[in-house]
Amino acid sequence: MGEFMTVRFHKELEQLQLDVLKMGNLARTMLFESIDALVNQDTDLAEKIIANKDKLRQMDATIEERTLHLMNLFQPMATDMRIVACILKLITYLARVGQYGKDNASIAMELSKEPHVKKLVSLPYMRDLVCGMIDDALKAFETQNISPITKISERDDTIDELYYSIFRECLTYMMEDQKTITRCVNYIMVARHLERCGDHACKMAEKIHYMVTGEHVEIK
Amino acid sequence: MGANPNGEIVLETKDLNVFYAKSHALIDINVETKKNNVTALIGPSGCGKSTLIRSFNRMNDVIDGCKITGTVLYKGRDLYHEYNIEEIRTKIGMIFQKPNPFPMTIYDNISYGPSVHGINDTKKLDEIVERSLKLAVLWDEVKDRLKDNSLELSGGQQQRLCIARALAIEPEILLMDEPTASLDPIASAKVEALILQLRKRYTVVIVTHNMQQAARISDYTGFLYMGRLIEFAETTELFESPKEDLTEKYLTGRFG
Repeated sequence: MGEFMTVRFHKELEQLQLDVLKMGNLARTMLFESIDALVNQDTDLAEKIIANKDKLRQMDATIEERTLHLMNLFQPMATDMRIVACILKLITYLARVGQYGKDNASIAMELSKEPHVKKLVSLPYMRDLVCGMIDDALKAFETQNISPITKISERDDTIDELYYSIFRECLTYMMEDQKTITRCVNYIMVARHLERCGDHACKMAEKIHYMVTGEHVEIK
Repeated sequence: MGANPNGEIVLETKDLNVFYAKSHALIDINVETKKNNVTALIGPSGCGKSTLIRSFNRMNDVIDGCKITGTVLYKGRDLYHEYNIEEIRTKIGMIFQKPNPFPMTIYDNISYGPSVHGINDTKKLDEIVERSLKLAVLWDEVKDRLKDNSLELSGGQQQRLCIARALAIEPEILLMDEPTASLDPIASAKVEALILQLRKRYTVVIVTHNMQQAARISDYTGFLYMGRLIEFAETTELFESPKEDLTEKYLTGRFG
């Protein structure tokens, strides 16, 4: 590559990295706010999240197209190739995270008409931990430094424990009062979505680990 | 690619240094190539990759003022002291950047080497010509025009003819110095496919400026810079996760 072409390539790659962070921020915010919408029975917020799904899908498609175009034009190697490969994987995981945010928002709409079975405490806590994992994965991607994600597997174990704890708690409510079944099944679905987002954060961390170090690791 | 890491070492250098009149072209090179593997040498212009490949069949001997220290071993024996030059030319063939067929017929280009080596039986020569052209994946294109002048062939065909010519004397190693640099993409792709085929029977060392080509066809790659071998590794490893900072910079276009 001539010097001009190299500069052009790296400029475009940097812009793509920034756009992945923007997409990550959108997906993460959709997931975060979906729990607020659920807890506060805020249908306006839920509708806004659902509307953001199209924007997220557009970002996913555009970044993928531009990344493939860049590969086609410059055939990157070494770190550049690993960044490009990481971007292609990350956007898929981020699209899933945003999709789960949208699914939670749809559940929030459904559960907005009657009061909650009890004050929702565990779901926001679980949400905070999962979003923390996604934030750290994005930070590692941005800074090309794996230190924020080194303990992500242990953090995901906590998420799994929380999921089972919410599951058991909901079972108890359902056994006590059959009228809570519909609502409790929806709480379990939301918890399940959060648990899956924790897994996606781990998969992102794997790809970022490879991008930074060149070594493949299996986090989960 | 399916590197053959347990293959017998056929070429090996130990502390190889090559000096031209005033320049130190290769500095302490230690490298080995294994049987039935394709080894690529990459690096910016003037890094010494052509000098290295030329030292594998003593092409540097003919350059005035060229001095060589260290050792080059071919199958464990000193290439410079324990072989005569005819033996080396027979066993280690070379293909250059620009196709250089002899200005004679296609048939004669191939039969020339075996004739020099004393094979005069027409039937035997016919067999050699057919076998060599088939190995070079050129037979189907030229079988009906073997008596045509080789210079009438296209550039890509001429290059494959040169490869067939090298194969006619049954070498063990093929050295290729930028064999596709002067070819169009289609002809290059044919030569690349041919190299992958040849690897089953021969050991190939190739110098290339085209990193993607090295990544496509080689099992091992060495990166040279200013006369030094900076990194030598399995090709996938070197192109995906180079260990040396200089290799990383070269591959990502940050210098050179």
